[in-house]
Amino acid sequence: MRGFDFAAPTTIQGALKAAKGKKYRFIAGGTNFLPDLRHMHDGLPQLVIDLSRVDALRGVSLAKGEVRMGALTTMTDFLENKIILREAPILAAMSAKFAGPIIRNRATVAGNLIDGGPAADSVPPLLALKAVVRLAGPGGKRAVPLDEFFTGYRRTVVKPGEIITEVAFPAPGKGHKWGYYKLARRNAMAITVVGAAAVLKLKGGACREAGISLGSVNPAPIRCYEAEKILEGKAVGLALAQKAAEACRAASAPIDDIRASAEYRKLMCEVLPRRLICQALGIPLDQG
Amino acid sequence: MATATKKKKAAGSAKKAPARTSKRAAAYTPPKKFPISFRVNGSEVRAEAPAHTSLLYLLRDLGFTEVKNGCEAGDCGACTVLLDGVAVNACCVLGVQAEGREITTVKGIGTVENLHPIQKKFIELGAIQCGFCTPGMIVAAYELLEKKPRPSREEIKAGIAGNLCRCTGYVKIIDAIEAAAGEMASSKGRKS
Ligand SMILES: Cc1cc2nc3c(=O)[nH]c(=O)nc-3n(C[C@H](O)[C@H](O)[C@H](O)COP(=O)(O)OP(=O)(O)OC[C@H]3O[C@@H](n4cnc5c(N)ncnc54)[C@H](O)[C@@H]3O)c2cc1C
Ligand code: FES
Ligand code: FES
Repeated sequence: MRGFDFAAPTTIQGALKAAKGKKYRFIAGGTNFLPDLRHMHDGLPQLVIDLSRVDALRGVSLAKGEVRMGALTTMTDFLENKIILREAPILAAMSAKFAGPIIRNRATVAGNLIDGGPAADSVPPLLALKAVVRLAGPGGKRAVPLDEFFTGYRRTVVKPGEIITEVAFPAPGKGHKWGYYKLARRNAMAITVVGAAAVLKLKGGACREAGISLGSVNPAPIRCYEAEKILEGKAVGLALAQKAAEACRAASAPIDDIRASAEYRKLMCEVLPRRLICQALGIPLDQG
Repeated sequence: MATATKKKKAAGSAKKAPARTSKRAAAYTPPKKFPISFRVNGSEVRAEAPAHTSLLYLLRDLGFTEVKNGCEAGDCGACTVLLDGVAVNACCVLGVQAEGREITTVKGIGTVENLHPIQKKFIELGAIQCGFCTPGMIVAAYELLEKKPRPSREEIKAGIAGNLCRCTGYVKIIDAIEAAAGEMASSKGRKS
């Protein structure tokens, strides 16, 4: 291997400056970068910039009703951070199914988003939470809603020289209901066959706001806007949950691969959302 | 005569090499090396390596061969070490990222003369067969027991989910971790 240059800046400005005019790659936890490195023969970067020493990219806070997670927040943080556990337990439920504990210690939320794969597990719950991605780059700062972040298979809106600084979402509030399911061939260390997430905010017996999303069944994880609309403003029972689930199925466009057939995935795109919505709202699933 | 020429060639090769090689080879420069100083099991270590060297290769090249190479892809856990007290797959960390950090391998958790309870129970309860997974398994178990001193068997399973064992079938590994937790709890009780 020809090797590459290496820089470990300690500030966001330092990281942006290091990237200027170079064929660079950022690295955080390294859990995507190092396994990929073995196949990178031609596309090798000139320079690898380690973000793991930039303290400004660390930490979780709650401010103005918004949960803010630094880019370096790990999947282990999702399981242990008090703010996340209290405000968005769906992220902990997702993380418990993400790889295994050792990978979780290094896997960062920004790395998972940049990975951009259909099976990036943190994406469905973050979509259901209506997260926003904050970026810093040569052209200044900007924020992109997560549902506009992916532009295709492993493609994102991130421009050359830009880094993710933070991922944030409005705290769904006390008493919100949620559900997450990772359908996979093993209990751990498995790539998702279908991922589904639901976050439901209630008011007086009705669903005030819904966030429903699917992973692994489109080029990038998607939010199911139709399903959300079906639920919003209504007192949800089995019939509406079923209608929303059908809308989820309609929004999915799965493919065949070694893990499952498209046909099976399509079916699960209805089964899983229905189950999650019903379980979250305490609707008996007898007929489902 | 032959040996003499050979010697001469070898001595002068550094200077003459470019003239004899193709353009492509002449353009080759060996990858830049980076100084890395860090601590391994409490000792200061200074090394030099290209930036693409993984922490796994760096440690093994330095003689810490208790850190095993099973897959180089984060899948098997054989390379598990503690980095500043956190369990990581050494194959998924760049060596240069360890600059200034503290690494603990299975030998830092306990030595042959002074075994850690986890190591003792692995031996006593037959949780080791070929032993290839053991160094990583013990480091993973160590972190698990730091976080959850009395885990259930289900929690132990989840705690070693990132470590593959091709021999034992895991049952004895789970037994050993459970027994170690018990021993650590009772010795802690005795001390206080
Ligand atoms: C064995 C194994 C199991 C896995 N299991 C799962 C799983 O169950 N679910 C899942 O979703 N993923 C899984 N992954 C994939 C991986 O662990 C995650 O995608 C992880 O979140 C990547 O984060 P990282 O910090 O390690 O990324 P890195 O490898 O450090 O970086 C990946 C990419 O992200 C970019 N990047 C990182 N941070 C930033 C930033 N702040 N700004 C801009 N760019 C940035 C880097 O430039 C790089 O291109 C697994 C990986 C392995 C090896
Ligand atoms: S060698 Fe690192 S996980 Fe297998
Ligand atoms: S004892 Fe052989 S791999 Fe575990």
